[in-house]
Amino acid sequence: MGTVTIDQVRKAYGTLEVLHGVNVNIADGEFVVLVGPSGCGKSTLLRMIAGLEEITSGTISVGGRVVNDLRPKERDIAMVFQSYALYPHMTVAENMGFSLKLARADKAERQRRVAEAARILGLESLLDRRPGQLSGGQRQRVAMGRSIVRDPAVFLFDEPLSNLDAKLRVQMRSEIKALHQRLGTTTVYVTHDQIEAMTMADRIVVMHGGRVEQIGTPLDLYDRPANIFVATFIGSPAMNILEGRISGGRFIAADGSEVDLGGRGATERGHVLLGVRPEHLVPGPGGLPAQIITVEPTGSETHVTARLGGQDVVGAFRERITGRPGDVLSLRPHPAALHLFDADTGERLEA
Amino acid sequence: MRRLPTGLLFALPALIVLLALIAYPVVYTGILSVTDGSGAFTGTENFRDVLSARMTPRAFTNTLWWVGGSIIFQVILGTAAAILLNQEFPGRGIVRAIAVIPWVVPGIVAATTWAWMFHTEFGIINYMLTGPGLMDEPVGWLTNPDTVMPAMIAINVWKLFPFVAIMVLAGLQSIPKDLYEAARVDGASFWEETRYITLPQVRPVLIAVTLLLVIWALNHVTTIYAITKGGPANLTLITPIQIFRLGFESFQFNQAAALSVIFFVIAMVIVALYIRFLASSGEVAR
Repeated sequence: MGTVTIDQVRKAYGTLEVLHGVNVNIADGEFVVLVGPSGCGKSTLLRMIAGLEEITSGTISVGGRVVNDLRPKERDIAMVFQSYALYPHMTVAENMGFSLKLARADKAERQRRVAEAARILGLESLLDRRPGQLSGGQRQRVAMGRSIVRDPAVFLFDEPLSNLDAKLRVQMRSEIKALHQRLGTTTVYVTHDQIEAMTMADRIVVMHGGRVEQIGTPLDLYDRPANIFVATFIGSPAMNILEGRISGGRFIAADGSEVDLGGRGATERGHVLLGVRPEHLVPGPGGLPAQIITVEPTGSETHVTARLGGQDVVGAFRERITGRPGDVLSLRPHPAALHLFDADTGERLEA
Repeated sequence: MRRLPTGLLFALPALIVLLALIAYPVVYTGILSVTDGSGAFTGTENFRDVLSARMTPRAFTNTLWWVGGSIIFQVILGTAAAILLNQEFPGRGIVRAIAVIPWVVPGIVAATTWAWMFHTEFGIINYMLTGPGLMDEPVGWLTNPDTVMPAMIAINVWKLFPFVAIMVLAGLQSIPKDLYEAARVDGASFWEETRYITLPQVRPVLIAVTLLLVIWALNHVTTIYAITKGGPANLTLITPIQIFRLGFESFQFNQAAALSVIFFVIAMVIVALYIRFLASSGEVAR
């Protein structure tokens, strides 16, 4: 059983606390992505699960067994490192079979399991090479092979794709995803790339400053971000945030522009933030005037940065916008897809 | 006329100086070895004379003991010291600095100091061994046939293990931390990490350092000459000292040259074999 339970986990280096009581429950077979900006503690948390960092307080359980005081090899986990950490003086086969060798598994068993992992990853022809003779993508696969051979309850990935070029990254992303669907092993995956998180995860844990900001499925986080941090971190281009107040069921921006909240915002509020995703700005009559600053055609859609309600906003449009800088568009925020946040706490406001 | 490559032109002055300093003595030694004191050509006579001398095979055996004993303990002790100095502990910087001292001390100073320390009557070593009763009688370290060569080797090990430690330490520091973490996740103990990660990773350094140590040990004169001059009864006479004494004490420069040529060839063969079989099997940049 590959459940992972992280209960009130704290991490401190001397007096500096970097994780402030983290709680995450991961079900058997789940693919969970820890995402957040650099320094948010996501890698530290992963290394604590692996047993490479001490747990200052709280407990981590793997398969229902508290692992706080167990050594890494006793935790039934395998880890893929950012640098892959392949042993340079060993062949691919030796790299993959190293853990079995240390566990004194007999040679036939070792060969069988290495061959099996090599077959799954398409590494059969590379078994006699050394890591230095492999491309980045192949090394990545060997690092995964080393984990598969151990047949652990939980796979841990620490930013495994950040050393690959953009095209290979997309390819490896789907390979890892396919591998997970095939093996069904619980996976904890750390990345700072929200697109990776969105595309791969069953559930995402958004971390920020040593705290969990929100846990949910990718679309949950996208559609109902719990606070302003998650709202702006998830999604690309990022969500537009307008400052203003609510009055008479309408949002009134700093410069006096008004946005219909579509029945929400019954209570008057002095200081709120209105979040609008770029694709929820609809061009058409009856909207707010937006003066174009730049137009960025990406092919499939067009990103327009414009001045709206006294602030810069970004719109993403499926149709091709032919406007030039200085032209004025009329943009209407989609009333059903608006997000309201308390300007002081950053928390989401419902209704 | 073809122009000389510019690179060669720039390197030429240095090459000429090198040739004068290295090639000339080598060639001149070669000439000395086949002539007599008056400069007349004598063929292989010098070689026959020097090889038939009784002390020559004795010196060869001594040299093998000297080189072998020095290298083994220098490498083992140096590597162990490097691994310890690479651990985190308070005052590590100071300990590292202190560990280098033997290597920094001039050879002649070290030799004189050690000669006093090994002294049968006044040496601190005998004082410390007999004082608490560890030994009943003082040992004649430098006169006893069983202890004099080990004593010389011990001094040489003491003198050069810091060099090994520094080189290996540099090698250790270039091993990515990730490898150890991966090994820990794979289930390696400290000894397994040392055997499967550390030693293979510092292997190129060890090979290069060992080669240097072999060359230095083969050419060594200072320590032994300063303490025993090869005695007692030729027990510590190694070939470089035999050459030195033949030339500068017996003034048999032609025989000394002949022995030098033989020794030069043997040393070259040892080094060539070493590079061929050890260095080329690893990924050492030559």
